[in-house]
Amino acid sequence: MTGGRLHPFTLLAIAGALPALAWILPAPRGGAATAAVALVLTLTPGASPGLTGTGVSPGWRPGLVVLRTAVLTAAPFWLFLLLLHDVPTTIAIGLRITTMVASFVWLVAALQPARLVEAMVAAGWSASVAYLLAATLSAVPVLKARARRIVDAQRCRGLSPRGGIAARLRALRALALPLVLSALHEVDERALALETRGLVPGIRRTPLAPPPDPAVEQAARWALLLACLFALFRRFL
Amino acid sequence: MRSLTLEGASFWYPATESPALREVSLEVAQGEVVALVGALGAGASTLLLVAADLAPRVTGGRLTGSVARRDRSGIVLPTPWTQASGMAFTVWDEVAFGPANLGWPTHEIARQVDRALEQLELVPLALRDPASLSGGELQRVIIASILAMDPGLVLFDEPAAELDAEAARALWRLIRLQAKEGKAVLLATSALDALPDVADRVVWLEDGAVRAVGTPELLADVAACDAGLGTSVASVWRASGLPGPYPLTVAHALQRWR
Amino acid sequence: MIPHPPLRLDGVSFAYGTVPALAGLSFSIAPGERAALLGRNGAGKSTVVRLVAGLERPDDGTVWVGDWDTRDCAPERLARRVGSVFQHADQQLFASTVREDVRFGPRALGVREEEVKRRTDDALDDLGLTPHAAHHPYDLPPALRKLAALAGALALEPALLVLDEPTIGLDRALCARVSSALLERSAAGVALLVITHDLTFAAETLQRGLVLDRGSLACDGPLAGLLGDATRLEPLGLVPPAVAALSAALDLPGRPVRAADVARELARVARGRPAP
Repeated sequence: MTGGRLHPFTLLAIAGALPALAWILPAPRGGAATAAVALVLTLTPGASPGLTGTGVSPGWRPGLVVLRTAVLTAAPFWLFLLLLHDVPTTIAIGLRITTMVASFVWLVAALQPARLVEAMVAAGWSASVAYLLAATLSAVPVLKARARRIVDAQRCRGLSPRGGIAARLRALRALALPLVLSALHEVDERALALETRGLVPGIRRTPLAPPPDPAVEQAARWALLLACLFALFRRFL
Repeated sequence: MRSLTLEGASFWYPATESPALREVSLEVAQGEVVALVGALGAGASTLLLVAADLAPRVTGGRLTGSVARRDRSGIVLPTPWTQASGMAFTVWDEVAFGPANLGWPTHEIARQVDRALEQLELVPLALRDPASLSGGELQRVIIASILAMDPGLVLFDEPAAELDAEAARALWRLIRLQAKEGKAVLLATSALDALPDVADRVVWLEDGAVRAVGTPELLADVAACDAGLGTSVASVWRASGLPGPYPLTVAHALQRWR
Repeated sequence: MIPHPPLRLDGVSFAYGTVPALAGLSFSIAPGERAALLGRNGAGKSTVVRLVAGLERPDDGTVWVGDWDTRDCAPERLARRVGSVFQHADQQLFASTVREDVRFGPRALGVREEEVKRRTDDALDDLGLTPHAAHHPYDLPPALRKLAALAGALALEPALLVLDEPTIGLDRALCARVSSALLERSAAGVALLVITHDLTFAAETLQRGLVLDRGSLACDGPLAGLLGDATRLEPLGLVPPAVAALSAALDLPGRPVRAADVARELARVARGRPAP
């Protein structure tokens, strides 16, 4: 379980190194390799969406959800590239973008925000900064849950996802707008609410369960950084 | 001993002409439960935010008059899902979030969390994912989270809104227990029928100003009934045309009837 | 019995994965009937709403909306017959004005423009939202946003309205608005199924009580008899609302549960008694 066992900094390092290497290494093989790695990562059980409390057992199939998200998010970029460039350029850039998208999607799925906060605080970062980063990542499942609720509510008002372009655009508006509006509206309330939970600058948060950071992983992170620097060096020589 | 003292407090939200609070003077003592009642928009929520030192510090706006606090405050907002940290695996972690942020040692955190979970009857849910909880369960978890931070002044904004009857009754008992333990409690609620058993004093807010202060007997006054703020029993007694004073609760009505 | 009542559940069972939610639930609601769906948190009430709206299919048994089996209908098709309002419905608002948002439903159904306008105006009027019709939904306080979401369902003019906790966050004045809007619709033949833990609201507005306990129907009968009976309500996690408790304690004739009826009986009994 990559998400459950690897240290959050290692997850961040991987999610940063893959896109970096994709752009540094020569196209298209460099991009193909990193994209392949990133997409395979989305299949790992650690990337499966949170399943506790629902009685559904984790396994291989949930990984397909993350893979599908990554593919669907990257697809429009390929479309635009095809419109603007010739095929070799499209493939070269498309693979790099796919790597970025897949790495980010995997990171959001695999990185548990609580562990990130604990890791950052254990490393000396202030709780507020750590929380800001973690909250950005944890916003995704919250928004996903809300998006599902909004889709349900609009369908029950007669919104049909079928029909011509105009109908689909209307449908998109009825789904995206409430999500954005209610999320924005809640930003103020959320900031207020978090204050109520003791997130005050200047106090050192007590780590409840700092994730273990074995030497192997620390070495691996340095190795990734060196690999990127090495590739960069070689590219510009 | 006074935990919270407001004197002539007026508050304007940013970019608004009319004040949300007008010259409010109010005291809450340790060991006392004070209830704020009023129509929607009367200023109860704003008053709680001012008491919690969130207005104007976090909300922005302008405050005049004086606010004095003796103890650390904790506030339970009417929208519990916004108060959830969003990053706890389990209910236990969620409740521990606040105390951990305060930098307490782990054994102290564990003690407060276990106590809060017990008080809110959440022990069976301790290992559940907060995202899988129902609205009522989440409201109880947030209440536990705030109590686990051991505030001296506890502020509740419509804490029973999403709770079913049993959970609501347990909550009112818990609030009385908090007062017995020496905390000061200020509570905004529309559950008027529960107040005779819960509140020591009732403050009636209207358009941001204090219209009346008194014991829960206030909720049986003619004025309160006419304003829609009487208890159900008092309101029905008034509607029947029977002479006052109106009974506050079913028990009072039974006594009068005999 | 009517051949195709607005709603009929026939031996419905449902589980979320391995967690059972409903077991062998059967009941039906007639046109104009106002039913309260009561029970503890977690008893399965919201699951019933999701099944009726077509968002879930029953594992066993059938949910009939009129002569439609919900298994064969997508929620957007069921919207022609069922108006559903879920909790936190105020998060579904998106149009630039309240009126635009309320219009969304009837327009999506493909109704003629004049009819859309009439339905929208009626819905806004019934809930007293006409003064706010041109405002942006997020300029309104949360309570009025909730009413706007309800207006959206009323504007669909369905044969059945299913509401999940419509009065949370509303003060007495707004609850009264909701109550009168629902009573009016019911008088016009609309069937109502309302989940609520506000038994005072239920006493005033609804007539029949369906009480769920751990996924099955523990009680199905007139609210009037049920609400004053603490011994029946207690094991189901419910508490008699104050007015019903008063009616039972004073043993008023007929044991009314609605405030106006109790007030009237109080006055009558008091007049008939010898002066103290």
